[in-house]
Amino acid sequence: MNTTTQLSDSALVTLYIAGNENAFEQLVNRHKNKVFTTILLIVKDTYTAEDLMQDAFIKAIHTMKSGRYNEEGKFSSWICRIAHNLAIDFFRKEKRSPMITLEDGSNVFNNLSFAEDSAESLQIREDTHARLRELIQTLPQTQREVLMMRHYAEMSFQEIAEATGVSINTALGRMRYALINLRKKMQNTNIAYDKNLYSE
Amino acid sequence: MIKTSTQNELIQYVYNELADDAAELLEKAFMHDDELAEGCSELLLIQSLMNASYKSPSERSINNILNYSKNLSLQS
Repeated sequence: MNTTTQLSDSALVTLYIAGNENAFEQLVNRHKNKVFTTILLIVKDTYTAEDLMQDAFIKAIHTMKSGRYNEEGKFSSWICRIAHNLAIDFFRKEKRSPMITLEDGSNVFNNLSFAEDSAESLQIREDTHARLRELIQTLPQTQREVLMMRHYAEMSFQEIAEATGVSINTALGRMRYALINLRKKMQNTNIAYDKNLYSE
Repeated sequence: MIKTSTQNELIQYVYNELADDAAELLEKAFMHDDELAEGCSELLLIQSLMNASYKSPSERSINNILNYSKNLSLQS
């Protein structure tokens, strides 16, 4: 049994800096899906997202190994922030609207485990989640931006307000409209409010 | 009709950014305001769906990252 599985992120970071590679593997496995999805929703291309995710973790490796990691924040927020910034940088440099290649057939299921579910129900669940990711792409830019920053990159509303040059109430309002619009789009495209589709 | 300020508080509440005293007041309001409680439930459901919508990267990419780290450790 891996003794690092129950440790906090902070403890894993400490172990990794001390040379424990298993601790790093645990950190990567804990956060890979969130980091990857954060990037994918911005760059909209699976292969680019794979590359940028590797860049994000490599940047994190160098920061931790060089002793520059700041213990004040949460690891998950920090790594998602790195991923978000890399994706935004890439998107700005590319200045293009890449094709959406969300489903490439590989490793299609997320980190949830539903051993009792049929292949068909798993596919329906994944299709629903893929559709949701597509719907997020159709939100107005200002709403999508704040949703990405808050939900996926885990920035606080205050941080989002500062990063985007608006008041915190405007940031909150944009998030509210993003979620309302997302709900409407889900209803319009018959994404059911099926509890089985949710996490936990 | 839920006031805009309250709707903003709801957003902060579901993202755990509302101060404890304000969160307590909001939770009390849920008890007698069905519209507010329903609005909160809707937000939590969408939030849960987004949480479940994460997609996995390839094993190859993960192995690249882990190998990079191991190689770096060996060099130092």
